[in-house]
Amino acid sequence: MKKAYNYLTILVFALFSLSNTYAQISKAEIRATGLTCSMCSNAINKQLKALPEVANVATDLNTNTFTVILNENTTISPATFKQSVEKAGFFIGSLVLTSKTTSIKNEKFIVVDAKTIASEEVTFQVLDKGYVTDKEYKKLSKSLKKLETYLANNEDDFHIKILN
Amino acid sequence: MPTFTLKNANNEEISSTSFKNKYVLIDFWASWCAPCRKGNKELVKLHKEIEVSKIEIVGISVDTDIEKWKKAIEKDSIKFTQVNDPNGFDAKTAILFGVEELPSQFLFDTKGILIAINPTKTEINNLLKK
Repeated sequence: MKKAYNYLTILVFALFSLSNTYAQISKAEIRATGLTCSMCSNAINKQLKALPEVANVATDLNTNTFTVILNENTTISPATFKQSVEKAGFFIGSLVLTSKTTSIKNEKFIVVDAKTIASEEVTFQVLDKGYVTDKEYKKLSKSLKKLETYLANNEDDFHIKILN
Repeated sequence: MPTFTLKNANNEEISSTSFKNKYVLIDFWASWCAPCRKGNKELVKLHKEIEVSKIEIVGISVDTDIEKWKKAIEKDSIKFTQVNDPNGFDAKTAILFGVEELPSQFLFDTKGILIAINPTKTEINNLLKK
C-alpha cells in the first residue's frame, strides 16, 4: 500500500512539473526539417490534427510552414509540438508561438533578449535544442554561452526570443 | 480502380472510366513537391518509350494554385494525361486512393485491379512486354 502511495506521489509530481511548462497558446507556426520534403508527407499534418488541443492546421507551401490554430483557452507545452513532428519522422526547424503574455511570465520561460512586453499577446520563438536547426543551435550556444540554463539543455524550461 | 472525373488543363473533363482495356498508372503529385518534379522527368521518359495503346499514364496534381500546376506541366514537358484535384492531401481523389505522401503511384491492370504501388520503371516495362 505504501509503495502504491509513493508511486502516486511521483505521478502527481510528474504531472505537476509537466504542467508548469504549459502556456496559454493560441497559435503555433512550425517549420519542419528532415531528409525528405516535409510538405510532401501527410504525416506531420495528421499528427498535429490528432492533438485534442488543435482546432485547425494550415500549410503554407511558399514558406514550408505549418500554422496550427489552437482551441480557445487551451494550455499546451511547446514540447507537444516537438513530439508530434518527431513522431511523424521529422524535426523542428523553427517554432514560433503566440500566447497570452501572462502565461509565459514564470521561471519556465526564459526570455533571452530581456525585452519587456507591453501587449496582452506575445509572439516568440523557442530557441532550445531540438526547436531550432542544429546549425542554429551551434550558433546560439556560442552567443548565449553566458546563459547557464541554455547550455544545460533542461527539458522543462524554454529559452525564448520575443518577436513582437 | 476508384472512379473519378477531373478536369485537365484545357478545362475538359476526364473520367477514369475512359481508360478501358489498358493498364493505368496514376501518379499523384504537386508542383511544389521537389521529388515529384524529379519523378515527372522519369514519367516523361517512360511515356516516350511505352506503347500508349497499352498503358495510360495519368498525373493527378493536388495543386491548389492552378497556374503553378499549368506552368509545371509546361516546364516538365508533360504530354501524358494530366488532371487537377486541388486541396493537397485533402483532395477527394487523394483521400479516395489513400495518398499519404507525394509522389505516390498506383498501377492498375486492364481490368482495373490494383497490381502495384510505386512500381519501378523495370516492373512497368516487364509487364508491358508480356
